[in-house]
Order: sequence, then structure tokens, then C-alpha cells
Amino acid sequence: MLATESPLERGTANRSGGAGVPVYITGTAAFLPGEPVACEQMEDFIGRMPAGCSAFGRRALRWNGIQRRHYALGADGRWLHSNASMCADAVRAAMDVAGLDLRDLDCLAAATTQGDLLVPGHASAVHGELGGGTLELASFQSVCASSLMAAKYAWMAVKSGEAGCAAAVAGEFSSRWFRPSFYQGTELIDAKGRLAMAADFLRFTLSDGAGAVVMERQPRSEGLSLKVDWIDLTSLAGQFDPCMWAGATPEGRTERDGAWSCAGPAAAHASGAIALQQDFTLLKSVIRAWIGVYLQKVDAGRIDPAAVDHLLCHYSAQSLREEIVGLLEATDAMIPQERWFTTLQDSGNVGSASIWIMLDGLMRSGRLKAGQKILCIVPESGRAMVGFMMLEVVEAA
Amino acid sequence: MGAAVHIVLDPAEIEIAVVLRKLAVVWAGFEARLEATPLIRKLTRGRFELADYHAFLIQLRQQVKDGALWMSRAASNIDEAHLELRSLLMRHAVTEHRDFRLLEADFVVSGGELEAIRGAEKNLGSEALSAWMFHEASQPNPFGLLGAMFIIEGLGSIKAVEWGARVARRLDLPNEAVRFLLYHGENDAGHMEEFAAMLRMVAPEATTAARIVRCAEVTARLYALQIEEITS
Repeated sequence: MLATESPLERGTANRSGGAGVPVYITGTAAFLPGEPVACEQMEDFIGRMPAGCSAFGRRALRWNGIQRRHYALGADGRWLHSNASMCADAVRAAMDVAGLDLRDLDCLAAATTQGDLLVPGHASAVHGELGGGTLELASFQSVCASSLMAAKYAWMAVKSGEAGCAAAVAGEFSSRWFRPSFYQGTELIDAKGRLAMAADFLRFTLSDGAGAVVMERQPRSEGLSLKVDWIDLTSLAGQFDPCMWAGATPEGRTERDGAWSCAGPAAAHASGAIALQQDFTLLKSVIRAWIGVYLQKVDAGRIDPAAVDHLLCHYSAQSLREEIVGLLEATDAMIPQERWFTTLQDSGNVGSASIWIMLDGLMRSGRLKAGQKILCIVPESGRAMVGFMMLEVVEAA
Repeated sequence: MGAAVHIVLDPAEIEIAVVLRKLAVVWAGFEARLEATPLIRKLTRGRFELADYHAFLIQLRQQVKDGALWMSRAASNIDEAHLELRSLLMRHAVTEHRDFRLLEADFVVSGGELEAIRGAEKNLGSEALSAWMFHEASQPNPFGLLGAMFIIEGLGSIKAVEWGARVARRLDLPNEAVRFLLYHGENDAGHMEEFAAMLRMVAPEATTAARIVRCAEVTARLYALQIEEITS
């Protein structure tokens, strides 16, 4: 039966957040494969569908405002990297920025939407690429918010003294799922050879890359570090059906026997169950749910919009519809657009990795000053989840 | 959106904004709860049948019919210091008090018998919702009802068109059989701005503000109970 309390009310009231041992992000890094790819060249990499260039894809591009993105594929569709190798490169670079050696790493928390292999976990693959000695590992598979799941694990590991140095990494290799062979011969293609909107939208939205952060109990001895004040994740999967998914048809996504493996791989492919899809009607409700969770945090005093100096969110302010911005302004909860920092236009929407790619961009932007607050918001349409992370800029004494 | 300008609100406007924020949070919890009710699950998962639509219309009719009545009663309990709000509620009641006829027409066009919808009983949730609304409307200056209206009208402006379109598509019905749901969505644009204006009319101090939010919470819960209790 349904609980009597509002689904939004469970949460953060009794959390201490930053109490106890402080934890600092001492290194950030982004790994973006290959050269930037302009909108007109996208289909050279992800391939062309028989019905030609998609009008819907162009609409998706106007909506998300992305100008350039990176693919781990060559122009001939050849793989240049794996998800794990990009993540390993990001971890190495972040450790380097922190002034540490890989041998200093105790714990690795890795996140992705879809790893290279079905089994074993993504963190194992990243560790395999990194090589070296033993590590404590944690794998997180979700969509965008998996980044903050991994970050929370790393944060708690350092905070509790379980690790002296932990890295959280997130990576995506989405483009390989957008190659025509994922769609050809499936029910996602209509009689005129057109790809279903639910799949086509994502082809023109997501791209590849990785990002990582390193956490320690002391800030860096020189330059800027970021103290992690708190990390909150809120899932509303108890109320909402899958909104962005792969592994089932739209009808099968909530059935107990609806997952691809029930029908077997060949039949699942033919039904279109293997491709990534997005439910647009549901997305509108999910966006309102994200906003509701945000407003609840503002109302509870967890987030003070006026005290946020930089907002990182891999949704652009432009892509939020006017009614949402109107709602945020009417409820005195809007963070002015000039405080939104994004690299979305140039680095693309890299799913779980986006938040670290943007944070790395912000660290390098020269805009940060000691004492400033950075709010990271990671909405995930996968099954109505949203994560928040509050950081404070700290300068070496 | 265009270039965002941070609007600096004066203190009275901030109080309004805080009430609106709390109402928006109640709304979001309400929408999430509705999503998980058996009836809406059927609608979103492609299992909705004509009998579900008829059961839905039967319960909607109960509270739509009562809506204009409790609004009129509330208007009659509003004092002379708040004539603007009284006028607004009366106008609202006039606009809506025949809407249940539209629901009946939808019921008939989609193959139901007029006597069936007219003679049907309220379910447990509808009983509770109706009793609650009339109780609240009977208080002197029942400003808490603004919270109830935020929830009920939000349903019209935010959910009705989506539901109407899903019903029509799933059951292969013409728009003439789904007019109430489709028409309500078109009718209720500018929801937040209208509500800010209504809140200004009562200039809510802390007690009234809390009552408005509480009333929204109770109404949302009872409305969801009405939907939960719909079985075909």
C-alpha cells in the first residue's frame, strides 16, 4: 500500500551533512576522446539511418543547445577507446592534478550507465585498465546520478577513515549504442524506415567521455580544493516507471518478465529492446518531480539559492521550459542564470561523466574564490532520481 | 527562456513566494503519488479499459459537481474585508458549476448510460474529499481553501490534457468523448500567476499561510485516495 507521508518528505532532515571529519576534492580531471565533433558531422561517427538525416534529431539539438561533442569512435565507426580506458585515463589525470601517485589510491568508486561488459562490474574494468596494486572497489550502475552514488561512496570512505584517498570516476561510451545495427531490423524502425523518436532523441543528445575526482582528508597544500559539504540522492522510483532505459520494450519495461533476457538476445533485439529509449510524456512529470525535490530542499533550508555562487547542472537553463523557470522565480528559488556554469555546449551531454567534466572546467575557469559555494545538481531521468552535492571552495593556508 | 534577470522580491512578495514554494512541493508529492495509483498505472502502462474511463468519470463527476457548491459556500463565509476574493470565488463557481454536465456527456459519448453516471455512488475517497471540502468551506474566512484549489486546479492545468490524450489514444475515442479532460487543460493556463494574485488578496500571515499549506496537503491526500479507490 502507499505510505501516508508525501513521497518527497523522506530525506534529509536528520542528516548531519558536513559534520565530522571534513573531506576535500583535491583533484579533478576530464577525459574527452578524439576531436570535437560538430553537429553536421555527428552521423559520420554514429552512422546514418537509411531514411536519412533525422528531423527529430535536429530538434533535439536545438533543444539541448549542444554545439560540439566527443566520440570514442573513429569516423569509420572503429573504437578508439573503451569506457573503462577513458575512466582510467580520467583517474590518472585527476591523481596527477592532486599531486598524487596511483599508489596513493586506496579506494575506487566507478559509475556508468552501461559498462563495457555485462559482467563483471565497471570498477573492475577500470582497475584492470589502471593496473597496479590492490584497491577497494565499488561499482555503480544507473544513469547520470550514478556519478554522485560513486562520489558519496568515496566521500563516506574517506570521512569514516576507511580510505585515506578515494577516487570517484564516471564514464560513458554511449555512441556505440547509437550505431545503425542497434536499430536495423527492429520494431523501432517504421515502414518508411524512420527511427522511433524515443530512440532517435538520445542518438542526438548523448556522447562519450569520462571524468574523475580525488578525495582526501586534507586540502591541497597549494591552490584550491573543494570541501564536500554534503551529498544527497533522492529516488522516486517507487512512484515513477522507467523513463530512460535499455533492455526492454516500452510495454515490457515494468513487467516482471519484460527484461530482454527473458525473450533471449535475438528476439529482444528484434523487438527493439536492446536500444536506449526515452519516454517523453513521462519525462515532463519527472522534470516536475526533480523540481519538487529541489524546492523541498530550498524550503527545508538545505539549499539557500542566494548563497550559491556557482550552479552546475547538465541540463542547460535554456532547455528548461519557461514554465519551470517561471515556477522557480515565483517560488523565490531560481539561481540566477549568470551563476550557472556549464561546458555542455562544447563537451556534450556525457551522462554520468558530465558533472565531473563541468566541475573540472569550473576549476580551470579562474572563476573560483575561497569561500564560494558550488551546488551540483544531477537529475537522472532513468527512473526519477536527482542528486545534489554542495561544495565549498577552500584555499591552501 | 530569455536572459534571466534575478527578481528581487519585497518582503510581502517573499512570503507569497514561500507559500507558493510549499504548495509546489505538496503538488510534486501529489503528482508522484498519483503516478503510483492503480488507475493511473493502468493508463500509463497501456492497460486502461473503457470501464476504467467510466469509473474515472463517475468519481470526477462527484467532486466537480461539489466543487462549485463548496466554492459558493466558501464565498458566503468570506467577510467584507476580502470582497475581491469573494467575487473571485463566486465567479469561479459560476464558471464551473455546470462542468459536471460535460463529464456526463463524455460518459454518454463514450458508450455509457446517463442514468449510470447520475446514479453512481461516491467512493470512499470521494466521500472523504467532499466532506473535507464542505467542512473547510464552512469556516469563517476559509482561506485554507486556496491550498485546496492549488491542488485541484493544478490537476486541471498540468495533468488533465496528458490524461485526456492517453485515454483517447488508448481507447481510440474521438475528442468529443474526452472533452472534460482536454478542455480543462486549455482552460487553466497561467495557474501560478493566478494563484499569486489570490494569495495577495488574503496577504497571508504565518497562521493563514500554514493553514493554506495544510489544506493543500489534506486535499492532495484525499484526492489521491479518491483515485486509489477507483476500481472498474
